[in-house]
Amino acid sequence: MKARPITTVKTIVASIEEVGAGTKLFNLVDPDHWELPPFRPGAHIDLHLPNGLVRTYSLCNAPADNKRYVIAVKREAEGRGGSRALHDDVRVGDVIGVSLPRGGLEPDATITRHVFVAGGIGVTPFLSMALHLEATAQADFALHLIVREEVPLAAHLASLIDQGRVVVHRTSRTGRPDLAQLVGEGGSQTLVACCGPESMTCEFEQVTAAWPAANVHIERFVAPPPVIDPDAKPFTLSLARTGTEIQVRAGQTMLAALQEGGVEIATSCCGGICGACKVGWLEGKPVHRDRILSPYERERYLMVCVAGSDGERLVLDL
Amino acid sequence: MLDTVNAGPAQKSAQLGWTGVVRFLHLAPRAFLPMRAAEAVTLVAGKGIEGDRYMIGNEEGFYSHKPEEGRQVTLFELETLAALKRDAGIELGPEEHRRNVTVEGVPLNHLVGRRFWLGETLLEATRLSVPCRHIEEITGKAIFDPLINRSGLNCRILQGGIVRVGDIVLNAA
Repeated sequence: MKARPITTVKTIVASIEEVGAGTKLFNLVDPDHWELPPFRPGAHIDLHLPNGLVRTYSLCNAPADNKRYVIAVKREAEGRGGSRALHDDVRVGDVIGVSLPRGGLEPDATITRHVFVAGGIGVTPFLSMALHLEATAQADFALHLIVREEVPLAAHLASLIDQGRVVVHRTSRTGRPDLAQLVGEGGSQTLVACCGPESMTCEFEQVTAAWPAANVHIERFVAPPPVIDPDAKPFTLSLARTGTEIQVRAGQTMLAALQEGGVEIATSCCGGICGACKVGWLEGKPVHRDRILSPYERERYLMVCVAGSDGERLVLDL
Repeated sequence: MLDTVNAGPAQKSAQLGWTGVVRFLHLAPRAFLPMRAAEAVTLVAGKGIEGDRYMIGNEEGFYSHKPEEGRQVTLFELETLAALKRDAGIELGPEEHRRNVTVEGVPLNHLVGRRFWLGETLLEATRLSVPCRHIEEITGKAIFDPLINRSGLNCRILQGGIVRVGDIVLNAA
């Protein structure tokens, strides 16, 4: 029996490659080289690093290359520690848990042209998209890569550079290019996307301000704060048996807050139907969102996976 | 009048109103991984399917922290996939529901507590499967609600063997 639920996809570091500009490429595979959960071009995954850090990186391989996740990581000496851990501590053969892939290029048959603008290591999601578009010939694309001098992933981009589909702009030689010129005229059949440092994504946002939102995609190195339901309110869970108080953030589930607080809760469906996480409540105004408790049961119990609170404090029989 | 005493298994099952067929077989060795289609799988009595994540003694499934002796093999109705498309407009493939065996013509919800033949193997249905958010997370499809009361059957394996696509499913009552 496993003591704890499996919450990540188990991968093994199959190879690590130096790819220039202080960047390493990590190939993550299943221990049996099974297909990995599918992803869209340019999607990202969370890596649960051995030192406990959780960091998000874009995949740079194409979805059809479905037995590995390839990430390119630039070592940031002054960063928050994720890239240092990967560069300095992670070895071939190490096990790394990763999340299911999220985001990436949505399939859209109406788009016939893509213009990608990348700053430095921000090229990674676009490499995945470029490889996918090149292989499937679904739509035309151009990738403008803006670097100071050295091109990251140069060998991986070489054939696309030779074909003229990737254009490298070296700011040390030619200055910073005019983003408005690079993206050109907007149109319903063109999708433009940018990934790079904050100054670049801000300028890109201004340049494309008049474009339809659906045709503009921006990825930042630092994730924007999560969108929270404006009606959601934080509340306090008071655990009667242990005397513990646990804060539930606005939009957070009671279950997640309890688990963060180290409280073991049995769960299964996480949708309010199986009853595994049924817990007694003693005081407060619970908001029941399950589909199985009777009105009589709701006077005593709630399902922590979906229930909320209509008051600032809810007392649970835990 | 039907001769129920001398009837063979196929005739007995037909008398009970159904005879089914194995249409798809799928397994995966670990949680979250895509289910891979197989033409044949090996069922081990009292354990599970060779190479699958819920094989008892070698469990690496999403729910393996909740051991369940009656979850050695899971089944799903092909008809539910058609119903999902018809009723909810959702295209769900047999590799996406994450049960091992997709059958056609088998009333799974009626079999809890009963025994039936899946090809040469004998199964005992332990409980109905319930939908879970985990499948929605993996498929990215809103299938939790449409799968309530029709998300398959959990079984234990009484007699093992090899199950192949195209095998007949019969009531063993």
